[in-house]
Amino acid sequence: MSRHYRIGVMFSTTGPYSVVPRSMLNGALLAVREALPGLTVEPVVVNPGGDLAAYAALSRELLQSGIRHVVGCYTSSSRKEVIPCFEKHDALLWYPSHYEGFESSNNVIYTGASPNQHVLPLVDHMLAHVGPRAFCIGSNYIWAWENTRIFREAMTARGARVLAERYVAVGDTEIDQVVDAILEARPSFVFNNLIGTSNYAFFRAFRAACNARGIDQPRTFPVVSCTLSEPELEEIGEGAVEGHLSSSVYFSSLATPANRAFTRAYREAFPEGPSTSADAEASYIAMKLLMLALAEAGTDDVEAVKAAVTRQHLLAPQGEVRIDPQTLHAYLTPRIGISNGDARFDILVEAAGPVPPDPYLVQSSPRYAVASRNSTLRVVK
Amino acid sequence: MAPRLLQNFNGGRAHIVTASPSAVEALLATLGKLGVSASIVELVNGRAGIDLAALQADRDILFVDGDLDNPLALDIDAGARQPAVPVIGLVGVEAPSRLKQLVHLGATAFLRKPVQGGAVYTALFLGINQFLLRGDLRARLDDMDRRRRGRRAVVKAIIARMTDAGVDDDEAYEWLRRESMRSRQNLEDYCDAFMKKRAPAFEQPGNEPLRGVARK
Repeated sequence: MSRHYRIGVMFSTTGPYSVVPRSMLNGALLAVREALPGLTVEPVVVNPGGDLAAYAALSRELLQSGIRHVVGCYTSSSRKEVIPCFEKHDALLWYPSHYEGFESSNNVIYTGASPNQHVLPLVDHMLAHVGPRAFCIGSNYIWAWENTRIFREAMTARGARVLAERYVAVGDTEIDQVVDAILEARPSFVFNNLIGTSNYAFFRAFRAACNARGIDQPRTFPVVSCTLSEPELEEIGEGAVEGHLSSSVYFSSLATPANRAFTRAYREAFPEGPSTSADAEASYIAMKLLMLALAEAGTDDVEAVKAAVTRQHLLAPQGEVRIDPQTLHAYLTPRIGISNGDARFDILVEAAGPVPPDPYLVQSSPRYAVASRNSTLRVVK
Repeated sequence: MAPRLLQNFNGGRAHIVTASPSAVEALLATLGKLGVSASIVELVNGRAGIDLAALQADRDILFVDGDLDNPLALDIDAGARQPAVPVIGLVGVEAPSRLKQLVHLGATAFLRKPVQGGAVYTALFLGINQFLLRGDLRARLDDMDRRRRGRRAVVKAIIARMTDAGVDDDEAYEWLRRESMRSRQNLEDYCDAFMKKRAPAFEQPGNEPLRGVARK
């Protein structure tokens, strides 16, 4: 007898940061198409449109309709907005995006990268290969605040410096002041936590400003991100797309049989795009793991599914993935890539295998907060 | 300078004093995620079976259930209500008498029962860092008290130096400060020792007592 489950799928496929969530929706739906024997999944897709208030309302509607599992959310602010709702209804959110850590809800399965899997490898790489002076920019919300805080402490602990931090509102594309400030500070590199349209506007404006001054931007002021993915490179567009570093657990250029099959199936299913991304893969992984756990548990009961998911070993496009029973975060394989003119990434370095998640950085950070030696930090917006 | 913030609790040891293990299940699970080992302290005739003297301020944390009737005999500094290790209160019955007991134990953060996992990191962060801050303030107060008590010796030493060397009070103070640094003592202790060392000389016939100088 085939078991049938309705699963919520909640991504902002419209709004100021919709490009990556559209690829996430595709990733989740692709997993649904790869049906398991004896199990059918009906995705119930909702779109909060980038409106923070809509997330909780839509979550409530999904859960009150009897749905117990939702794959969704891209931004950390949206995730934090809906967690109380999932805890109240004792349901499970499958959160498929890299994030800043320092959270471990019993009602969330985290399939995106934790900070020890993206920002810390990036710090080590930049200090070894580029230089010790960073200029930080980001969108003005929890992701950029916390990720920059982790980055700053890691840099300071290694004797390096953060020259300044600048934040802009989500969706703000007036970015010239930030570009001028970077050119004036002349950092070794730029650490970028912008999202959505602000991000694309920054890459274009920064490249144009450097070109106008005869500066080879990728060589002189490389930009490194923990968010930059292939669909976003396509949004940045020709002329500003190559030479950017990204720390991620997945790139579409990975030459593994599982990834080749994934990217081919994705292209066939969604020829209109957007391209695959790390978050699309994380969404695919989340839905695959959920389906495997539902099949093993034989029920959508949250506790039974949580227990079952920690027993799964998924050969994902990025490599082996499994869920840590203690933190409900994923073992993932960190990599650093550099973008090329085809809006794809060439992989520079990668870990030997899956790295355990450390969402609170208990294994990867000093006991005490590292005091910054920088007295010039300021928030401008 | 304020103490540095502790934000990574890995290696910590939590001792949970409660009679309601089911109310702290999420606390035990979340502490494990934070790298903190945790155990529920056995209660014997209503008293916690724990060797308080063996607790270490930089590792141990006490979670105390406010619903229990005085389960611990903590050696609290009455003035500052500063226990030897951080105390985080577990609040069940939200009544003044119960909360007062936790305040008297020196609790610097609170968790409602049954404990929600999402509140644990915040409680640890606040509880431990407030404990460190209070300890720092206590040390500063103690230092101020010590200096206040030594003030009389400093005044006496300045006047004595003025008399001995024929210098004004600023120069006398500077000399005492320099000598105290040279002898690696704080100013108050140095002045106290200086006056004690100087006293026998004045007991010799022909020497005026110090108070005679003060009357000038």
